[in-house]
Amino acid sequence: MDPFDAALDLLRRLPPSSTQQNLNGIISLKPDLEEDLLSSVDVALTSKRCTKTGRDYLCCDYNRDGNSYRSPWSNEFEPPIEPEEAADLIPGGRIRRMEESLNAGVDVYRELYYEGGISSAYLWALEEGFAGVVLFKKTSSAGGSAGKGGWDSIHVLEVSEAAGKRSAHYKLTSTVILDLGLSSSAVDSLELAGNLTRQTESDLALTHSGSRESDIEQSHVVNIGRMVEDMETRMRNLLQEVYFGKAKDVVGDLRSIQPLSEVGRDRDAHRDVVNKIGQRT
Amino acid sequence: MSSKAAVLASFVEAAPPGEPVWSLSSTFSPTIELLKITADIKSLTSNGSDVVESLGSAFQKYNETQLTTVKLPGSSGVVLVSEFNALGDGRYFDPGSQSSFTFDHATQKASDVLSHTLESEHSDLIKSLQRIFSTYTSEHYPSSTFAIYPVESTSSVALVLVANKYSPSNYWNGRWRSIYTYSPSSGTLTGNIKVDVHYYEDGNVRLLTTKPVEVKLNSGASAQDVVKQIGMAEQRYQEELNRGFAALSEGAFKGLRRQLPVTRQKVEWEKIGGYRLGQDIGGGRSR
Repeated sequence: MDPFDAALDLLRRLPPSSTQQNLNGIISLKPDLEEDLLSSVDVALTSKRCTKTGRDYLCCDYNRDGNSYRSPWSNEFEPPIEPEEAADLIPGGRIRRMEESLNAGVDVYRELYYEGGISSAYLWALEEGFAGVVLFKKTSSAGGSAGKGGWDSIHVLEVSEAAGKRSAHYKLTSTVILDLGLSSSAVDSLELAGNLTRQTESDLALTHSGSRESDIEQSHVVNIGRMVEDMETRMRNLLQEVYFGKAKDVVGDLRSIQPLSEVGRDRDAHRDVVNKIGQRT
Repeated sequence: MSSKAAVLASFVEAAPPGEPVWSLSSTFSPTIELLKITADIKSLTSNGSDVVESLGSAFQKYNETQLTTVKLPGSSGVVLVSEFNALGDGRYFDPGSQSSFTFDHATQKASDVLSHTLESEHSDLIKSLQRIFSTYTSEHYPSSTFAIYPVESTSSVALVLVANKYSPSNYWNGRWRSIYTYSPSSGTLTGNIKVDVHYYEDGNVRLLTTKPVEVKLNSGASAQDVVKQIGMAEQRYQEELNRGFAALSEGAFKGLRRQLPVTRQKVEWEKIGGYRLGQDIGGGRSR
C-alpha cells in the first residue's frame, strides 16, 4: 500500500483525540510524508493575534508560508516573508476584495451562531475560477458537570464560473472536528471525540443588476455564505445524532440496564396488547 | 524500546474494536482493525517481517488488555486471553474448560489445546462465582464472554468480562470490558469498567470511558455478595454514563454552536452589511 494512504488509513482508525500526536509519530517514521500529511489531515485549528489590527485569526496550511501566517485582516504575513514570496502568496484585486467581504460576512455569521469564537476565510485564484477555505473555532468553557468541548470547522471550496458569468459551480468539502469531555466522580472519564466530513456541490445564480463586477463578487460571497451555513447546520444535527444518539445506543446494545428477561416479557406483553386491539376492531 | 518501536506499539495499542473475520472453517481470524493497522504499519516502515516481529509484544499487550476472545479448536467454547490467565511462552489457561492453549497474538488463533486442571485455595469460591456471574451476565449482556481466574501471587480472584458488538455495515463497533480483582481475605473488590465505541462513516468518532471501581465487602463474603456488588456498580455506572451523555449534549455541545441565531432566522447574507452596524453598536464580544 502507498505509504501516504497507509498513513491516512491509520489516522482514521486511531483515537481522533490524539491525531496530532499520531501525526507526529507517523512523520517521525516517514519524514518525506510531512508536507503532504500536513496539508491533508485535519487537526484542531490554532489561532494568532494580528499585530496590525489586534484581531484573532485562524491558522491553516492555506495561509501558511514556512513558519509565517497571513492575517486575513491586515493581509500581511507574520512574521514577514520575502517580498518575492509575498508577491505570489498575498491576494489582491478581485480575490482580495471577495476575501475581505467573505471575512466580514462570516464574522457576522460567527457571532450569530457561535456567540464567540474565531473565524477566518482565505481565498486564492485557480487557473479557472478560485478556491478558498472558511474556518471557525469555538471552545466551550461551560466546565464542571456540563463538561468541556471544542469545535473546529474547516470548509474547503472550489468555485468555477460559467462562461456567461450568470451562474457558478460551487464544490464544498466540510470537516467538523468535535471534541467533548466530562470528568466527574460519578463518571470519572468520558471522552467523545472525532470528526466528520461531508461534501456538497451546486450550481447557483450570480446576480447581475447591470453585470457589475462588484455584484458578481458579492453574489459569490452570498452563495458561499449560504452553502457554509446550510452545511454547518446539517453537520451540527448529524454530530448530535452520532455523538448523543448512536454512541449512546451502542453502549445500550453492549449492556442492558433492564434485565433482559424483563425486556423479553415486556415485549411479549406489548405484543399481546397489540394483538388484542387488532382482534376487537 | 527504541522510539520508533514505541511509536508503532502505540498505534497497535490504540486500535479500535473490530470484528473478527470468520474464515470458512468457522474459527476466528485476526480482527479487521488489527489487520489493517498492521498493514498500514508495514507500508510506513521499510523493513517487512522485522517490524511484525518487533510488534510481537505490542500485539500481546493489545490482546491481553482488550480481552481478545478465541474459539478453541475442536470445541464450541469461546475463551479469552488476559494478563491473569497467561502462563508464559504464549500459553494461556481456561478454568471453565480446564484446558490450556497456545495463542498466536498476530493471527489471534488458538492451538495445541491440553488439559489443565486448576488447583487453587479459592476453587469453591471460583465455582460459585462462575455460576452466579453467568446468571448475572445473561441478564444484562446480550452477548459476552467472561472468565474467573485465581491469582496465586496475591491470593485473590480475577473476574473479567468482555462484550462486543460489531456492525461494520453501519460503520460502528463497540466493546465493554469489566475487569475486577477480589481479595477474599480483605474483602476488597477493585477494578475498572471501560467502554470503547468507534463510528467511522465518512469520519472518525470515538467514545472512550474508564471508571474505577472500589468496594469493600465483609471478609468471608459469599459469591452472591460479590456479584451483587459488581452488578450494582455496573448498573449505577451505566446510568451515570447516560446522564453524562445528556450533560454533554445540553452543556458543552450546546455551548459551541447554536442550532439557529437568537433571531430564529437564518443569516440574510445579502444584508450582511446591515448586521455589521448592529454588532458595532452592541460592542465587540471578548473572545
